[in-house]
Amino acid sequence: MKNSQWFHVVGAAAVTVGMAMNAPVALADGDSDLLVVAKASDPQTLDPAQTMDNNDWTVTYPLYQRLVAYDVSEDGKGLTSVVGELASKWSASDDGTVWTFDLASGNAFSDGTAVDAAAVEYSFNRLMDLGRGPSEAFPGGMKVEATGDMQVTFTLEQPFAPFLYTLANNGAGVVNPAVESKGDDHGTEWLSANSAGSGAYMLTGWERGQSLVLEPNPNYGGATPEIEKIRVDIIAEAAARRLKLEAGDVHIAESLPVDQLDALGSKDGIEVQNYPSLKVTYLYLNNKVAPLDNVDVRRAISAAVDYQGIIDGILDGNGVQMHGPIPEGMWGQNKNATQYSYDLTSAKKALDVAGGASEEISFLYSDRDPLWEPIAIATQAYLSQLGLNVKLEKLANATMRERFDSGEFGIATGNWSPDFADPYMFTNYWFDSNRHGLAGNRSWYSNDKVDGLLQQAVVSSDTAERTALYGELQEIVTDEAAYVYLFQKDYRIAVRDDVEGFVFNPMLEDIFNFGGMSLSD
Amino acid sequence: MSDATVSVNPIKRALSRVDWGYLWYQVMKSPLTLGGGAVVLTVLFLVIFAPVFATHDPNAIDLRARLAAPSWDHFFGTDEVGRDLYSRILYGGRQSVAVGFFVVLVAGFIGTFVGAFAGLIGGRVDVVIMRLMDVVLSVPSLVLIMALAAALGPSLINAAIAIALVRIPVYVRISRGQTLLIREMSFVTAAETFKASKLHILRWHILPNILSPVMVQATLDLGSTILLASALSFIGLGAQQPTAEWGAMVATGRNYILDQWWYSAFPGFAILITATAFNLLGDGIRDILDPKQKAR
Amino acid sequence: MSFLNVIRRRLMFLILVLFGVTVITFTISNLIPGDPARMIAGDRATPEIVQNIREDLGLDKPLPVQYLRYLEGVVQGDFGNSIRTRRPVLEDLRIFFPATLELALTALFFATALGIPLGVASAVWKDKPVDHFVRVIAVTGISTPAFWLGLLVILLFYGNLGWLPSGGRIDPSLEMPTRVTGFLMIDSLLAGDLQAFGSALKHILLPAFTLGFVHLGVVARQVRAAMLEELQQDYIRTAKANGLSRFKVVFTEALPNAMIPSITVLGLALGDLLYGAVLTETVFAWPGMGAYVVNSIQALDFPAVMGFTVVVSLAYVLINLAVDLIYMAVDPRIREVS
Repeated sequence: MKNSQWFHVVGAAAVTVGMAMNAPVALADGDSDLLVVAKASDPQTLDPAQTMDNNDWTVTYPLYQRLVAYDVSEDGKGLTSVVGELASKWSASDDGTVWTFDLASGNAFSDGTAVDAAAVEYSFNRLMDLGRGPSEAFPGGMKVEATGDMQVTFTLEQPFAPFLYTLANNGAGVVNPAVESKGDDHGTEWLSANSAGSGAYMLTGWERGQSLVLEPNPNYGGATPEIEKIRVDIIAEAAARRLKLEAGDVHIAESLPVDQLDALGSKDGIEVQNYPSLKVTYLYLNNKVAPLDNVDVRRAISAAVDYQGIIDGILDGNGVQMHGPIPEGMWGQNKNATQYSYDLTSAKKALDVAGGASEEISFLYSDRDPLWEPIAIATQAYLSQLGLNVKLEKLANATMRERFDSGEFGIATGNWSPDFADPYMFTNYWFDSNRHGLAGNRSWYSNDKVDGLLQQAVVSSDTAERTALYGELQEIVTDEAAYVYLFQKDYRIAVRDDVEGFVFNPMLEDIFNFGGMSLSD
Repeated sequence: MSDATVSVNPIKRALSRVDWGYLWYQVMKSPLTLGGGAVVLTVLFLVIFAPVFATHDPNAIDLRARLAAPSWDHFFGTDEVGRDLYSRILYGGRQSVAVGFFVVLVAGFIGTFVGAFAGLIGGRVDVVIMRLMDVVLSVPSLVLIMALAAALGPSLINAAIAIALVRIPVYVRISRGQTLLIREMSFVTAAETFKASKLHILRWHILPNILSPVMVQATLDLGSTILLASALSFIGLGAQQPTAEWGAMVATGRNYILDQWWYSAFPGFAILITATAFNLLGDGIRDILDPKQKAR
Repeated sequence: MSFLNVIRRRLMFLILVLFGVTVITFTISNLIPGDPARMIAGDRATPEIVQNIREDLGLDKPLPVQYLRYLEGVVQGDFGNSIRTRRPVLEDLRIFFPATLELALTALFFATALGIPLGVASAVWKDKPVDHFVRVIAVTGISTPAFWLGLLVILLFYGNLGWLPSGGRIDPSLEMPTRVTGFLMIDSLLAGDLQAFGSALKHILLPAFTLGFVHLGVVARQVRAAMLEELQQDYIRTAKANGLSRFKVVFTEALPNAMIPSITVLGLALGDLLYGAVLTETVFAWPGMGAYVVNSIQALDFPAVMGFTVVVSLAYVLINLAVDLIYMAVDPRIREVS
């Protein structure tokens, strides 16, 4: 038949397509002006007064400046202390309720407007007035006032020991007051997808679900950034992120699972960097629900978990078992507090003391952290050795949160990382009976003595006194097995070896100091 | 229509109306249908006797032997907590097959009755029922199922209920259409002149005659339901851990696809083979039973 | 029945569908346990903050009031703001819908371009090995879990061979062509940017193949059945008797007529492809409505989920309308009969 004609048509089409597809595509490698970060999902909102997600902060943090910033040591390590960023100096009243900040001159928003005290006042009022998640970090009743062109005064209702550190939060970013004219509700809709900051970079493009582009803020007050363009690519599959990194199309690949990181470490041109972190993984044990309301059942559970097995098996050894609620590397940790270890005999003994437990225990987790599922499966297997009947429930994150708040669950997985380097971030959130549910005390733990210790510690500015108070608290809450304190693991990230100057700060997970980074040729 | 005996007799009668000898003859003549049927039987056999064929406890974990490659100890390797994938695939088949039959039975029964009822009663009731079905069919089914499954709470049985609810309109349409045809036939009009009750007509005249197309649809639906259930598990709205389920295994396995390709490859293959077998069988039976096709 | 009548009836139905769809989706979304306010309030939210957000979003109102407010907005073309992104849902959909439509149409093109020849071959050589082969392909198509096939082709064509990209719509290092239609392949050609076109084409191949493979079987089976019917008609016998070559009989006489009943199937397939894209998009990181709606369901972002269902249902009804009209235009018999 007319086979030959068909063949020609197909052939011609194939050649055309081939030509179009072979068009050269610039690789990130070798282009020293462009840094590409691959992350798993698109940011949701870029408004610092709204976002509560580290995934958004990768983009927002470099867009804005704050009064203070975390310091960097001489050898390039992230410190837990702060230095001034917008503020040149500050002082606190003796009782710790009045804080006065003098602003440095020369900082400007990307539209050229200078950053002054009015802008700071506006930003904090906007934050507190919107009353969204980020406002929670700041003490209630806080008043912010511009007491000069370049001076801002914060007045607190009562002393709040870690106040200074809250000002380095993503939520404390100073926003250009011009956003007010961008729409209702302090321009939230506009700011969700745009930037109005004085940070080293500004947002110049966002192809939703694909990529975001940051370029240097021409009016930035600090040292001009070296990298001329930052691109954040959204690549949902971990495997694809890894392959792109291997191919050199991407410089930094976020949230790779442990197994991928191990496989990557040996590849040419790629470095898997480990940083000690303050992020912990633990299990909530609902203290209000039978059988977990019995302290001996909680002790039995705490002794039935094979901590080292989880660390070796699920984390490939990249973690350490927690010693009570306060992680290694944070001041105030009490090494004398009880640390449970895998010991079925004592677990069974504790369960006998409790008189056994026959109720079904629900175990909630979500896919927010890929480690949670193996942890849940393993814990279920461990507890079945005690004869405990655990039912796993994998929920959407939103549903899980609802259950935390209503207290309808038995056990659940959680991760926690501090906003600032103060034991307060762990103790006051986890154990204060005023914070039951989503607010932090996810175990619904109540102990009047502990509440008293917490109250004393938060108003005191004497570190030695606070250490002693928190020390006593740790002994109580580990003995009463309020949570299962699982592990603390390193922050691990895979980067191309031409990326230089990255400083990791344990308070700023998933946040990069783009302004101080560079690419070697 | 509440008691079960009502439906038993018509089914018996309907089945007796199917020419089994002819069906068997046609199946033997069609290699694809025969092959599909053989695989279906094999799969059913394997999953029913999963405890016999499994080499390991499907839920026994071993954190220190995780993500092992296929070997004589673990034919298909192990998963991220060291469970034997071969045994889990065998047990996982139970979920898939059970969901398939559950959905088809539930949606088939409810849909057939509602459709026959609407067709027989006619008038406003019919219009309202059919418009409702049209609307349900216009909602993107996967999203409807996802939302329903999320609302009911993630579990395999809830996923099955969600799929069944969304599949009902299909059966309603078939059975109503068939009912309208049969209603005009002489034996029904005759029964009506003898003042037979609607229930009587439904039971003795309508149901037996619409069963054949419904069965064809049901066989065809088995394969697609297995697929859909695995898709729901893939996005986390189906089976819950530690229960083994194919879609959920593919989902977890995708994280390891670069280094442990077998993890998601084997369960995915199991879905493919099972769904293909059911579809081949369903296709073949449709070709044989569908009167239009038979005429050829 | 006239064209106008068909259009009027369909549009009446459209109103019913929109009403029904919103009621159904609204009811079910609100049955999902969970509170979107808690979702965006963050990890350490106090009850006051959650309550504050709930009030801002109007979630503190009784459900019927919420629904009426929503409907009121929809009638005025306002689909509300997404809870997750805080942007108008309609704007989000305007960004994501063309991506999904482009993928669905390409997949449909793929399915028809392969499905029609396969179906014709299968009918011409009925019960021959070719026929069996095509039937196996067709059945495998509808039996393949698309999410799994997607993973495999990514592994092969990106992971092992490195020929095609793993996901996304276009190489992010390229300048996006000016948005005209929202279809990257068309926009890049309009802009005369061959490089962008090549990249867009490369990116769409794998997802379109994966999505289209499922429907390949549907199309092939339909064409086969229709062709078998046509090949038995008298006019074919006449044509054969008149000495027309077999090739001509099949392609110029039978196929055009067999395509008429296939239009319905193609229309339905396009509707299926639109929301069937949900899973494929997730696997290929295709920035379309599918990925958007999955994330929205997870985050209990009701306005976004509702927006999606309304738009897709609308598209579904309109596609059906188009199919009906085309049908009437090409097949005069229908007009005469009714």
